[in-house]
Amino acid sequence: MTAILFDGIVQGLQLSLLAVGITLIYGLGGVLNLAHGQFAVVGGVAAALLLQLGINPVLASLGGIASAGALGFAVDRTLLLPAYRYRGEERLLLGLILTLGFSFVIDGLLNWKFPEFSLTFQLRVPLVELGGISMRTASLAASLIALAVFAALFAFLKLTLLGKSIRSIIENEVGAELCGIDPSRTRTLIVCLAAMMAGVAGVTQGLFSSLGAEMGPEFTILGLLVAVVGGVRSINGTLAAGILLGIVNAFASHYVGAYVAYIILLSFAMATILVRPAGLLARFT
Amino acid sequence: MKKYADIGALTLVLALVPAAAGGSPYYLRLATLALVYMAWTVAFNLIFGHTKQLFLCLNALAGTAGYVAVVMAKQLDWSPWLTVPIGVAAAAGLGALFSYVSVLRGLGVIFVGIVTLAFSLIFHNLVLGLRQLTNGETGLVTRGLGFPLLEQPLPSYYIFLAALLAALLVYHWLMSSKSGMAFRALSDDELTAELSGIDVTRYKVLAAAVASAILGLTGALFAFYNGIVSPSVFSFVGIDIPVLIALLLGGMRTRLGPIVGAVAFALIEELVRPWGQLNVLVYGVLLIVLFTTFREGMVPVLKQAFQAFPALARRLRPPPAFGSKPDN
Repeated sequence: MTAILFDGIVQGLQLSLLAVGITLIYGLGGVLNLAHGQFAVVGGVAAALLLQLGINPVLASLGGIASAGALGFAVDRTLLLPAYRYRGEERLLLGLILTLGFSFVIDGLLNWKFPEFSLTFQLRVPLVELGGISMRTASLAASLIALAVFAALFAFLKLTLLGKSIRSIIENEVGAELCGIDPSRTRTLIVCLAAMMAGVAGVTQGLFSSLGAEMGPEFTILGLLVAVVGGVRSINGTLAAGILLGIVNAFASHYVGAYVAYIILLSFAMATILVRPAGLLARFT
Repeated sequence: MKKYADIGALTLVLALVPAAAGGSPYYLRLATLALVYMAWTVAFNLIFGHTKQLFLCLNALAGTAGYVAVVMAKQLDWSPWLTVPIGVAAAAGLGALFSYVSVLRGLGVIFVGIVTLAFSLIFHNLVLGLRQLTNGETGLVTRGLGFPLLEQPLPSYYIFLAALLAALLVYHWLMSSKSGMAFRALSDDELTAELSGIDVTRYKVLAAAVASAILGLTGALFAFYNGIVSPSVFSFVGIDIPVLIALLLGGMRTRLGPIVGAVAFALIEELVRPWGQLNVLVYGVLLIVLFTTFREGMVPVLKQAFQAFPALARRLRPPPAFGSKPDN
């Protein structure tokens, strides 16, 4: 029981890392990024390529995260420009189709260049004893990294001036612009940050299990489900929803099988949109 | 009678295609597949083009009809003449339900996209999960289920042509009746349409139901024709993406756009076939390029080119009466 619960939390934190990026890009840029999982995979692949060159694993991971960020920068400054010319529904639709197309481009390239690819890190100490439960060091490390990233994100958004300006754009883009905030530069920063968080999720996936080049669509879908359940404009909600869905998924996979578990997650997201479009946990924002 | 001229000409051309294929089963199969995609694109034009409902579950709607028809024929030993209509009804009901619920909840275009995408994935996992009925990933063999007409290539081609023709006629009939006017109004501005007394809910649900029935009919027939029905036959990448690209290529909200687009897409697909797995990449590039630079599609462009030769155009088509606006 505790093992399943722990597994669910570990997985859920990874999902939250992915989903919070989708939430941020949606809240700030007005674009639902359907290539978000692909950012994670690109980060993981870059890290693995650096590892193959014989670079220290920590540096390789940082390099992978940085390359995910660079890809985010490039996407924001080139691919999404046509979408940013519009506002509201039109921008959402265009952004959705453009990122969907981009996700296919990345998937096609990765499956062509690295068909049999996987990223796995080996840790020296496989198990640790904590409060009477033995845990895999890798899972523990992955969770701690995710929590640290979240703590840093919250501190950034709550305590710095830039963070405040970001929250003001999420509240009201036009209002923020009137206060002298440049939405397009802040947007680039956020897409970069979101892509880097996806990169962290990709790299840590290699830590506690393994990351394949074909996992992009799955990451995107899972991240999207969590973002939807958490409320596509709420960061706290996304964190909570990630952990909740991670636990639900772990228990459902264990007791009723993977297919049914997936169907439960999907129905959760569907029901959230239909019953509480602002998000199941959006109250806490 | 003149209104049906282009549909008639199109039917004639398509009816002659098997003769041009010269008995080659490979080309005949390609042509049949093109017909299937044409019908699906006509349906998507109604849902997305005319009523702005981004359904990302075309594969699941076509697949629901396909699986219902095949599984019932296999398990209950019923004739496909009975199970295909049941499958079509199931697809139409689901499409109408999604449309109704999303209008009722006032969902924006991308939330409709997410809900239907979730349904598409639920369908996929259900098919994989209900192994005893659907045989999971491997799929079911559909030959010899009492649909002999769909077992030979040539009769199959004409059956799909008939289905496409039916779809086009229904489309034409809808567009030239009162509902066509409602579709045009609500695709311009939904609020204004509502304010001028158009029952937006009713017309959106109508469009979704009719389009889902077309998707289902073609999907169910395709399940029997294909010889095997499996999750990969009705996949998101295999149906939704090609149909979206074909509609953009041909031109949204035009009568012949889906036909032109599906043909163009089939040609592109043949060109990139030697590259194998890279076709996904080509889909992605096409989506991006088409949506950013070519949102009108080919039909309006072709029409402009056509009108650039006034003499030729005048000889081929008499000018429309004063004040009447050409339909597409």
